[in-house]
Amino acid sequence: MIVAELKPISEIRNMLDRYSSILVVGCDSCVAECAAGGHRETMLLAAALKLSYGKDDKSPVITEACLDRQCVDDFINRIADQVPEHEVILSLGCGAGVQALARVYTDKPIIPALDTLFIGETQMRGVWQENCLGCGQCKLGYFGAVCPVTRCSKKLMNGPCGGSKGGRCEVDNDILCGWDMIIQRLQALGELDRLSEYVPPVDWSTSHSGGPRRVVREDQKP
Amino acid sequence: MPVKGASISIMETKPVKIVVYHCRNLQLFKPGEQKIFTRSRPGLSLIAIPCSGKVEAHHLLTTLAGGAQGVLVLACGEKACRYLEGSMRAHKRVDYARWWLQQIGIEPDRVEFVHIPPNDPGALDKFLKEFTFKLESLETIPPVAKIQTG
Repeated sequence: MIVAELKPISEIRNMLDRYSSILVVGCDSCVAECAAGGHRETMLLAAALKLSYGKDDKSPVITEACLDRQCVDDFINRIADQVPEHEVILSLGCGAGVQALARVYTDKPIIPALDTLFIGETQMRGVWQENCLGCGQCKLGYFGAVCPVTRCSKKLMNGPCGGSKGGRCEVDNDILCGWDMIIQRLQALGELDRLSEYVPPVDWSTSHSGGPRRVVREDQKP
Repeated sequence: MPVKGASISIMETKPVKIVVYHCRNLQLFKPGEQKIFTRSRPGLSLIAIPCSGKVEAHHLLTTLAGGAQGVLVLACGEKACRYLEGSMRAHKRVDYARWWLQQIGIEPDRVEFVHIPPNDPGALDKFLKEFTFKLESLETIPPVAKIQTG
């Protein structure tokens, strides 16, 4: 899932102050799981904005709405009747959600309320861990389902560096060594021989350096 | 020392709006008593909830944005919580709501979390008096437009 966190309220206010009616739109998918932009957070931010504006003797119209997914047109269209009544949309979606809203509602400014951080997992309640960089060439099968690109601080593809001590990374002792995890897991699975296979370096041209990526599947198209 | 009569006269002319979310398991009131308790205290709203852990930060901020000057969350002791973690969670959420108020520039003391003993409306009454006095010393939160939900 996409992990994000709320921007400081001062930054949000700075972007919104010129408008007199705001539609606050949450997204009940990834960013709800990481407690940044779901239904609860949408209500919280709307109430916080009301209090913040009220304190400054301003009273813009603030309306809340929450979509199941902010990156799919079928869901985005559900706020079509509310959008014309507002000057601006404040999105609690990830960067993809914000841009999807902008593509659909071409005449409305869309302001992001979140900083989109990474693709990750919920390790425990309140802890989200980055574990995928979206490099476009998944090699998890070779590395015991532990990604060296994200879990190794140095993104090493050919074994641990000399800074791994007691399963911890020298970059930060709080970080588990990605390569230690890879080896421990392959050992436990009895598949340590996987590491003797040659894994070519990642071709970063399929990642961000190659421009925005797209996936097109003819079988899924209408 | 505050003049008791003066405080009462303010209450009579302009009651401080306080919303209290209280855990039903505290069994503060016998049937019918809650209404009597509320009637004799203008500006007070009591809302019984199944467990204090049902309260979320957005409830507290929405309550303030809706015109309340202060919000109290009454919970059982952490070890006495019927749902084990409810009281502890409520405490964390109140702290989070207070953090939010600080970010906005509104006094965090407007939201309080209180452990009170069960079956003791007297303890609530005592705390309400202290809380009301504290709120009277703060500026009034300006009224805000009605929250709309889409």
